[in-house]
Amino acid sequence: MNLNVKSSDFKTTTRGIVRGGETLKQHRDRLMEATRLTKHYAGLKQMELRDSEPILYNKLFSRLRAGVVDARETAKKIAASPIVEQEGELCFTLYNAAGDSILTSTGIIIHVGTMGAAIKYMIENDWESNPGVRDKDIFCNNDCLIGNVHPCDIHTIVPIFWEGELVGWVGGVTHVIDTGAVGPGSMCTGQVQRFGDGYSVTCRKVGENDTLFRDWLHESQRMVRTTRYWMLDERTRIAGCHMIRKLVEEVIAEEGIDSFWKFAYEAVEHGRRGLQNRIKAMTIPGKYRQVGFVDVPYAHEDVRVPSDFAKVDSIMHTPSEITIRGDGTWRLDFEGSSRWGWHTYNAHQVSFTSGIWVMMTQTLIPSEMINDGAAYGTEFRLPKGTWMNPDDRRVAFAYSWHFLVSSWTALWRGLSRSYFGRGYLEEVNAGNANTSNWLQGGGFNQYDEIHAVNSFECAANGTGATAVGDGLSHAAAIWNPEGDMGDMEIWELAEPLLYLGRQIKSNSGGAGKYRGGCGFESLRLVWNAKDWTMFFMGNGHISSDWGLMGGYPAASGYRFAAHKTGLKALIEEGKPIPFGGDTDPENPVWDDLIKGAVIKRDKQAITTEEMFSDYDLYLNYMRGGPGFGDPLDRDPQSVADDLNGGYLLERFAERVYGVVVSTDASGLYAVDAAATDAKRKAMRKDRIANAVPVKDWMKGEREKIVAKTGVGDHVKQMFAASFTLGPKFEKDFRSFWDLPESWQLTEDELDIPHYGSKYSMDLSELPDVKLVQFVEE
Amino acid sequence: MNLAVRNLRSVQVLGIDAGGTMTDTFFVDANGEFVVGKAQSTPENEAIGLINSSRDGLSLWNMELGEALSQLNTGVYSGTAMLNRVVQRKGLKCGLIVNAGMEDFHRMGRAVQSHLGYAYEDRIHLNTHRYDPPLVPRHLTRGVVERVDMFGTVVIPLREDTARRAAQELIAQDVEGIVISLLHSYKNSSHERRVRDIVIEEVARSGKTIPVFASADYYPVRKESHRTNTTILEGYAAEPSRQTLKKISDAFKEQGTKFDFRVMATHGGTISWKAKELARTIVSGPIGGVIGAKYLGEVLGYNNIACSDIGGTSFDVALITQGELTIKNDPDMARLVLSLPLVAMDSVGAGAGSFIRLDPYTKAIKLGPDSAGYRVGVCWADSGIETVTISDCHMVLGYLNPDNFLGGAIKLDRQRSVDAIKKQVADPLGLSVEDAAAGVIELLDSDLRDYLRAMISGKGYSPASFVCFSYGGAGPVHTYGYTEGLGFEDVIVPAWAAGFSAFGCAAADFEYRYDKSLDINLAPDAPDVDRAKAAAVLQEAWDELTRNVLEEFRLNGYEADKVTLQPGYRMQYRGQLNDLEIESPIKSASTAEDWNAMVDAYNATYGRVYSESARSPELGYSVTGAIMRGTVPIQKPKIPVDTLHGDTPPEEAKIGTRKFYRKKRWVDAQLYKMEALLPGNRVTGPAIIESDATTFVVPDGFETFLDGHRLFHLKEV
Repeated sequence: MNLNVKSSDFKTTTRGIVRGGETLKQHRDRLMEATRLTKHYAGLKQMELRDSEPILYNKLFSRLRAGVVDARETAKKIAASPIVEQEGELCFTLYNAAGDSILTSTGIIIHVGTMGAAIKYMIENDWESNPGVRDKDIFCNNDCLIGNVHPCDIHTIVPIFWEGELVGWVGGVTHVIDTGAVGPGSMCTGQVQRFGDGYSVTCRKVGENDTLFRDWLHESQRMVRTTRYWMLDERTRIAGCHMIRKLVEEVIAEEGIDSFWKFAYEAVEHGRRGLQNRIKAMTIPGKYRQVGFVDVPYAHEDVRVPSDFAKVDSIMHTPSEITIRGDGTWRLDFEGSSRWGWHTYNAHQVSFTSGIWVMMTQTLIPSEMINDGAAYGTEFRLPKGTWMNPDDRRVAFAYSWHFLVSSWTALWRGLSRSYFGRGYLEEVNAGNANTSNWLQGGGFNQYDEIHAVNSFECAANGTGATAVGDGLSHAAAIWNPEGDMGDMEIWELAEPLLYLGRQIKSNSGGAGKYRGGCGFESLRLVWNAKDWTMFFMGNGHISSDWGLMGGYPAASGYRFAAHKTGLKALIEEGKPIPFGGDTDPENPVWDDLIKGAVIKRDKQAITTEEMFSDYDLYLNYMRGGPGFGDPLDRDPQSVADDLNGGYLLERFAERVYGVVVSTDASGLYAVDAAATDAKRKAMRKDRIANAVPVKDWMKGEREKIVAKTGVGDHVKQMFAASFTLGPKFEKDFRSFWDLPESWQLTEDELDIPHYGSKYSMDLSELPDVKLVQFVEE
Repeated sequence: MNLAVRNLRSVQVLGIDAGGTMTDTFFVDANGEFVVGKAQSTPENEAIGLINSSRDGLSLWNMELGEALSQLNTGVYSGTAMLNRVVQRKGLKCGLIVNAGMEDFHRMGRAVQSHLGYAYEDRIHLNTHRYDPPLVPRHLTRGVVERVDMFGTVVIPLREDTARRAAQELIAQDVEGIVISLLHSYKNSSHERRVRDIVIEEVARSGKTIPVFASADYYPVRKESHRTNTTILEGYAAEPSRQTLKKISDAFKEQGTKFDFRVMATHGGTISWKAKELARTIVSGPIGGVIGAKYLGEVLGYNNIACSDIGGTSFDVALITQGELTIKNDPDMARLVLSLPLVAMDSVGAGAGSFIRLDPYTKAIKLGPDSAGYRVGVCWADSGIETVTISDCHMVLGYLNPDNFLGGAIKLDRQRSVDAIKKQVADPLGLSVEDAAAGVIELLDSDLRDYLRAMISGKGYSPASFVCFSYGGAGPVHTYGYTEGLGFEDVIVPAWAAGFSAFGCAAADFEYRYDKSLDINLAPDAPDVDRAKAAAVLQEAWDELTRNVLEEFRLNGYEADKVTLQPGYRMQYRGQLNDLEIESPIKSASTAEDWNAMVDAYNATYGRVYSESARSPELGYSVTGAIMRGTVPIQKPKIPVDTLHGDTPPEEAKIGTRKFYRKKRWVDAQLYKMEALLPGNRVTGPAIIESDATTFVVPDGFETFLDGHRLFHLKEV
């Protein structure tokens, strides 16, 4: 394909803004057509620059990448929000003229795809003619219906021009602390439709000549609760974008526009081939099937939503099938996934797919060559109407991660089986933790200002075990491998909540020959807060990760909060008060120290705004990761070490690991080798004694399925929705369980509301809107 | 250098750079002449290596050790022993007292510590992350009941019995130091200091001798992970180093010295080995070069200097702007977050020994991050190295003399490099061997150049206002490459480039620096009375820090009237989390005008560092920290001033020619012996100037001039 189009090649009189004279739309159409026809990005079967001048090509790459990484490091110091400055929740990406990413910084790199989707939306909907795309313009976007993950991820997008022609784009994104949704916090739970998700901006031109419009500044600041964070986050994004734009201009000045132009497309094709080569090197061709679930417990009284039809318990269901072909191409099919719902956990196809390869960069393709090439190298199928590809423009997205992290953990397992088969034992990872709890809320803070909080301590969850060792404890999050829990003194600046504990959470990592990394827990005392609310957000009834090859899933979530604690008096009187961790929730210690308090302690790990006063308590519990291998194969000494280190509660040493221990005078645990041996033998015997042939077990299960007994309506509703949206899934289910033709399961027969199951209306049905299609539906 | 006239020589200053493998000494005499000594390091007793290195250096002057040492006025030590002790977790057994309920926080670290120091690819590659063991294990950690909030208000009064019990339990476990770090003690230290006193009482009662370290007494700055790690380092690693330094000092005194050794510290000054805050000597070697450049700049009148140092494994860059070092306040070292003031130095993991590989999946060229280190590359047959390195490219291209590497200590084989590069790089990329080697060098130079450029523009400057100093063993090989086209005001290669760090140590000020966290917040429209009040609060902190600084000098026998004080502050727009360190434009603060002057200085710096559009004065201002630096005058090496000879190098400096490849052609480069060149000489490329420890490459299109200070100036012609 000829990348160097001249304006004279076009018969039309209107000259486009893209280098050479094409319009943005013409340019992208031509690239996509060439990609489709050749299966090479932009039709680049040969990579002219890379092949003829490999040194220059590498130089361009390393120079631009270093500049983009550097811009992120510098710009984040402008921010006031601890989640940007301390947790690194920002990212900068450089795009070619067609909106395909060339390279990116570290950080929340899921947005490589989401910002690209925004650029493509502008291209497809002719932003070029109205409102116009000019040098030094500034665009802002956070629209989830066109690809953003959730509204709190705010994009700043700046076009890059050279000698009057558009040659690329740069995007910057930060996760802001509040978007003015129904409740405070960036990922709140109270709303059930998009209209409650807060401020929504669609690729709006918010500035020109490198200056923000005053109407934008006035409007945007009053749309959110935390104005200062908002403002400084925006300055952070703009400063970073401008640094990168300057870098690109310098690079072009020195290396020539022709070299940069070729590089901008070859790099994407290069990324695509890189993925293909890695797949060939790391995996085994074939089909890999797995599934993910997570709970949406909305029937509970502490979930206060505005709509009756949303007041139901439901379950997210994501079966997936990875097909790896011998040539290193692959396809991911999510047939059988459940429908979007009346909650804030839905996701757009772009955030779902873009996020998947963010995960892949942590395991399959950890290279410097992270760009849209991987997206072009991956085929996705997401049935329309599922939660990851909704067919209704009312859906809410504020915490799409609840479903995303719970469905993706399955993909780690699928890939890990492949790595295991190839002998890459160190690369095996049993799965990612459910990245929660999210401590959120707001009111008036210690500075007597309107405030919202959104702790990011759960950027440091436990990680999954590998096939050679335990997972890391309190270490990472799937959306940001450079995880960190931050300093307590910084969180106390940002939140009117005093720490009374920060402790490793025993038993939170899944058991196994190698156990999952443990999470941790922070006990917070409400302090100096006024008119204050907080809520919980995480998995409770369901462990959303699984464990691999005999390993156990991580512990699921629960909540602990206490009101009317009487702590003021206990402190004054010098009496014992809760400190540290809720070490053994089955045998709680704190509850007896604050007799008379109103305590919320249950599996209801999602709630909506709850009132809190000074001296109330809130437990922020960060989840662990899943385990690998049979716990009975774990080195007994490691079990004793876990007990001594506070990673395991004593009774589980024997019950799960079959390890018998005793304590010495100093209280340290030691293994009783003989007793352990005997215990493990006995356990293995018991297992055999309790086992039944699979056929017999299936027979019993089948009877229950035929009779539709033994499960609640939420399970039935989940399957009914999956059957409707996934005919192939239904067929497979039917044949697997050998069900008669007459057997049907529909939502109509269940006594729970299912608004949205029959009537829906997509964004594409709005006038003058052209959506960009990224996946097969 | 001039011939030594033995009887007239008076040796004044000794600089020491005790690295992991080699110990360098640098002696300077009253005329500013110097010698560099080298010897193998002796980690079990560093004094031995130091004495050997000194003998080696002084032998060039035909001097006996005792004769020279008794003449010395002062000596400065820098080394890697403390850093190694931390990295290898070979410190003392310390106990830690923190808030009840938070006993896990130190071992949890900060998750960022699981990937600190990683390259981009590994930072995102989750399964490579790992934690180092905590400095203090959990079973030696105890909690005390108390809480102070971020304003310094007591929320839970200290329960002294818990402190006493904690102390007793740790003492019973025979700890060798006890560290105390409570939340927000930088803001209100009363609880922490009371705990400290209780621990001291209990130690006394036990009859043992255990040093006690309260974080508020050492590093009263926000961020408990940083503060606690750093305070632990005092007990864990600095105390043993103190003993080492005392041993060295004593060993030299036995040989005739009459002074106490000073140690290079992270803030860029030197401090006594008796100093209270000794943990800040954890890294000192690389800083030496920066200080050397700063000193040369002061003497020769350069205000803005870009310091670049290439060794075998890394490229280190630091900037001196307006004669001032840039200080980083919460740096990381040895994969720990710390709260030491550290001369900001950025490192690229690419040096002369860096390995070159092609990514098997993408065929991208990858330099480092690992390196062959002292084993050079494939060109050294005995090295056991099979992967090609940057040095192999140098061999192919004729940059290095195979017979004079490290003065001929090891023989290199060019053909080995040629064969290996052909197989590993050139053939897979479809390039000729010399084009592949030249391409890799070009790529490395381009990386380094961008790094320099980014660092300078990150400070809001352009290279045109900077002089670039290039040193380190491999620095002068690449100087032309990484400075080409940047438009530096001048590019300088000191003739003693290989010993520049030791020189810098000898040139460092005797300087103490104390920092304190503050929380002064002022609205943009605050009335003058509030501004004056804010100025007064800052002054109060300066007064406190001044007392600390003067106390340190008193310990070393300097009275207050000898000490020059320079106040500073850290400021940010209200609500931000990052501040900038500003050298105060005023010596003391009391009025609204004083406050305004400080705000102006901050705004000017902020606009330069980030961008004009990132300024946010409408938010108001916060002063987050007070800084006080004190210096006393000390003897420093004199910079030589020689008379200039003619342009033309003497014939005896010419030592032949060598084939040299650059920009797709082979040329004959004239070879020179560096020591034989005379001040005033000009050398036009293609030329290679060789000495035992370094090689200075002057390709065609470049020219260098040796001035009377024995500095080479490199320029494009």
